[in-house]
Amino acid sequence: MLRRSVLGMLAAGATVGPALAQGDDWAKVVEAARKEGKLVIYTASIGSPFHKTVINAFEQKYGIQVELLEARASEVRERVRVEQSAGRFLGDIHHNGSTTTWLMTRDGNFQPHGPIPNIKNIVPPYDADDIRVPAEVISYCLMVNRNLVKPADEPKSWKDILDPRWTGKILSDDYRALGGGAVLFVVMYDTFGKEFVEKLAAQKPVFSRDIQNSERRVARGEFPLYIPFSLQDYNNLKGLPVKPIVPIEGRPYVRFDLTVLKNAPRPNAARLFINHYLEPDSQIVFANAGYNPVVKGVVEKTVEEIRPLLATKALGTTVPERQDAMLELAKQIFK
Amino acid sequence: MGSATLEERPDRVTVAANFPERTVLFGGLRRHGRLFGMGALILILCFLTLYPMVMLLYGSLHSTPPGIPGEFNLDGYAGLASAENLVVLANTVGISLVKTILSLALAILLAWIIARTDTPGRGVLEVLITLPFFIPPILTATAWAMLGNAQVGTINLVWRWLTGSESTLVDVYSYGGVIWHMMQYSTPFIFLFVVDAFRAMDPSLEESSRMSGATRWQTFWRITLALMLPVTTSAFILSFIRGMESFESAVFFGTPVGINVITTTIYNSITQRAQPDYQSATALGFAAMALMFLLLVLQGRLLRGRSFTTVTGKGYSPNVMRLGSMRWVTFAVCIAFFILTVALPIGQLLLSSFFRFFGFYEADMLTLDHYRSVWENSSFWRAFGNTMLLGVVGATVTMALGGIVAYITTRTRWRGRRLIDVLAWLPWMMPGMVLGIGFLWGFAILPHAIPIYGTLWALLLAYVALGTPVAVRVTSAAYQQIATDIEECSRVHGAGWWQTLGRILIALAWPAFAVGWVLIFFGIMRELSASILLYAPGTEVLSVVMLKMWVSGKPEEVSVIGLAMLVLVLVFRWVQLKFIKKRISTL
Repeated sequence: MLRRSVLGMLAAGATVGPALAQGDDWAKVVEAARKEGKLVIYTASIGSPFHKTVINAFEQKYGIQVELLEARASEVRERVRVEQSAGRFLGDIHHNGSTTTWLMTRDGNFQPHGPIPNIKNIVPPYDADDIRVPAEVISYCLMVNRNLVKPADEPKSWKDILDPRWTGKILSDDYRALGGGAVLFVVMYDTFGKEFVEKLAAQKPVFSRDIQNSERRVARGEFPLYIPFSLQDYNNLKGLPVKPIVPIEGRPYVRFDLTVLKNAPRPNAARLFINHYLEPDSQIVFANAGYNPVVKGVVEKTVEEIRPLLATKALGTTVPERQDAMLELAKQIFK
Repeated sequence: MGSATLEERPDRVTVAANFPERTVLFGGLRRHGRLFGMGALILILCFLTLYPMVMLLYGSLHSTPPGIPGEFNLDGYAGLASAENLVVLANTVGISLVKTILSLALAILLAWIIARTDTPGRGVLEVLITLPFFIPPILTATAWAMLGNAQVGTINLVWRWLTGSESTLVDVYSYGGVIWHMMQYSTPFIFLFVVDAFRAMDPSLEESSRMSGATRWQTFWRITLALMLPVTTSAFILSFIRGMESFESAVFFGTPVGINVITTTIYNSITQRAQPDYQSATALGFAAMALMFLLLVLQGRLLRGRSFTTVTGKGYSPNVMRLGSMRWVTFAVCIAFFILTVALPIGQLLLSSFFRFFGFYEADMLTLDHYRSVWENSSFWRAFGNTMLLGVVGATVTMALGGIVAYITTRTRWRGRRLIDVLAWLPWMMPGMVLGIGFLWGFAILPHAIPIYGTLWALLLAYVALGTPVAVRVTSAAYQQIATDIEECSRVHGAGWWQTLGRILIALAWPAFAVGWVLIFFGIMRELSASILLYAPGTEVLSVVMLKMWVSGKPEEVSVIGLAMLVLVLVFRWVQLKFIKKRISTL
């Protein structure tokens, strides 16, 4: 099904829009992009100052004006779907989590991006295909309140959170809903098995879907431990008594992807932007903020404070095909 | 009172008497004009309210959303009949009912104190006790989460310090917490509805009751409250329905302890699954709507055939009850309400806005950075400009539309009046997050030559549709208190339909218009569900910018904007009440 959709779009991509054919000189792409003069990005990364930094650099470098439409993942998806159904092709670039991007790829909302020079610099386990290009990676770990948890008591392994001392004291993103909690559930299930998640349920974690507020609740001392903590949120909490901990097994992660929307009015500017996003200068902005970069040679240049956390092992991520089944399983285990 | 606004037009009466054939001609034109007007009104309301509903109905009956191949079926509705959904329904109705009853009782008490007693400082108190309604719910939720959490909430810490006990006095993460947080919005909302009705009460009716031997309590119960029935039932129903559609309180304080309501279930269907389930979400929205419709039918039956007129052609001056030393008790009641619902949470917000982090009050964390950051944020100013424009134009257009609809439904027997009443009500009965999708679907599929989608028009039309039910309810409750004799008197003296509407009804009901305008204006400032789906680059509004700030971990900056909104409210309310005072000198 997915393969058919992708092949269909590849065929369509050859005929739609003024995109340049593969193999053309990149300089011509840059020139065509400058002539297009504008780029509209639909993103599920709401209010990210790092995104803005990279966009501003793009505007200054190429003189192409960028318009940003920010909304939550499902809202971005629905807008794109409705607009395309109504024959309104307004956006050029789509930036969203890998699960939503996978679903939208299946629904035929994108067109092939064509050759982009910096794709060759992408490092495993992240990889690009004809439609999707990894942008940055959200890595998940634990967060403890330093006033409530002594260094000796800090969890070192994911298995340590099953210790009875944490019973009723874990604040967590909900595993039964799309988001960081669901990513953690899948990775814990895949890594440690069903028994682990059942024991985690016996720890009676308290669920909350307001991530920013949950982090503050832990900082204020309502709970000593929060999972899963998005590493990039540490920037907003510097100065508070909290500490991120990447357990020895590694960090669950979720990828954000860049794609070119179907019938994008400015396909050359879109390609140029994706290439710009993969430049080391852009990726270092995200890396210093706590996102894992997707291209080589960036982690090593990250600020010292964050480097050891980013250099940890990528433990695993969600599998879009299994997402609904895993959400259902989480509902049964965490009633 | 009413006659002062009338204008003598003997020429018209004379002309009508001398040239009956012209009267027939004009009568025919007038009839055709009325038909045309009603037709235009029905078309406007159909586009604003029925059209997005039809899109949603399609979504609830089709296996896929518009634009994707699928099949028609009833799976969305069949899926509602589960034990889990019954619990959700019971939670929703139970929570909303309890909070509405408590809020109504409290609001009536406060309105009576402010409008009909000599309680000291009630002019200022009136402004202060309505403040919570205008603060974004997410901010008061954050404040209460800090004040009332079981572990380290300020209230519980003070309680433990005072009593030496280890017990917990309050826990906002509970049914009580959800209800309490909702009450902070519904009490001022109902108060705003009823306070002007108390003012518009002709005291001669109460005096007659007292002279006939009724006690003060009997008079309050049988006369005052009975005459207020249209306003109180309208406020009750609006508030109850809003309670069923409330999202923030339940998601903030209910979800962490397993309390689910209709809106959190809809939210889960749309945003928390890999594949959004619009069919279930819209079906649940329509099921909730059917329930609310029953309420409206009940209200109609309750009020049918009864008169609630208190403003007649005879002059009167609303009096105030001299309470003696008891006025300090009523003053204390208002102050207690103010402290609990305003001073505590807003104090927390104000304090936090001067510190680097919400809730961390250390000297080295004092800062003005949040104010500076908001001041220098160009997105904020752009959104502020858009929101002000949409707020002023939206509230004015909505009140004009609502005033006309209310006039036709309450003061005429024109054919089609029930239809426009139902059409105007529709948006209120569908949870906002579902209705937002209806607008998105509806506006996007319009022919591209109609420039609505992706422009400020899309937001304006959605806001007008969302605000119309409030405008209609506020104005129709006020109209119902005005006797028809004043209106007839105006017509006999030669005033036209528009003149009578403007110079008699609106002139007499203008305090209600002012309240409705403020309610709608601030409703527009806070609206998020439709805005997030309809805005385009360049047409951002304040609620969207606040969401961006919140999600990106800047609650302190959101507080600054919330406080700025409060200042705006104070200015608006001050101006509004200054005018009321001018008109009703005894107050």
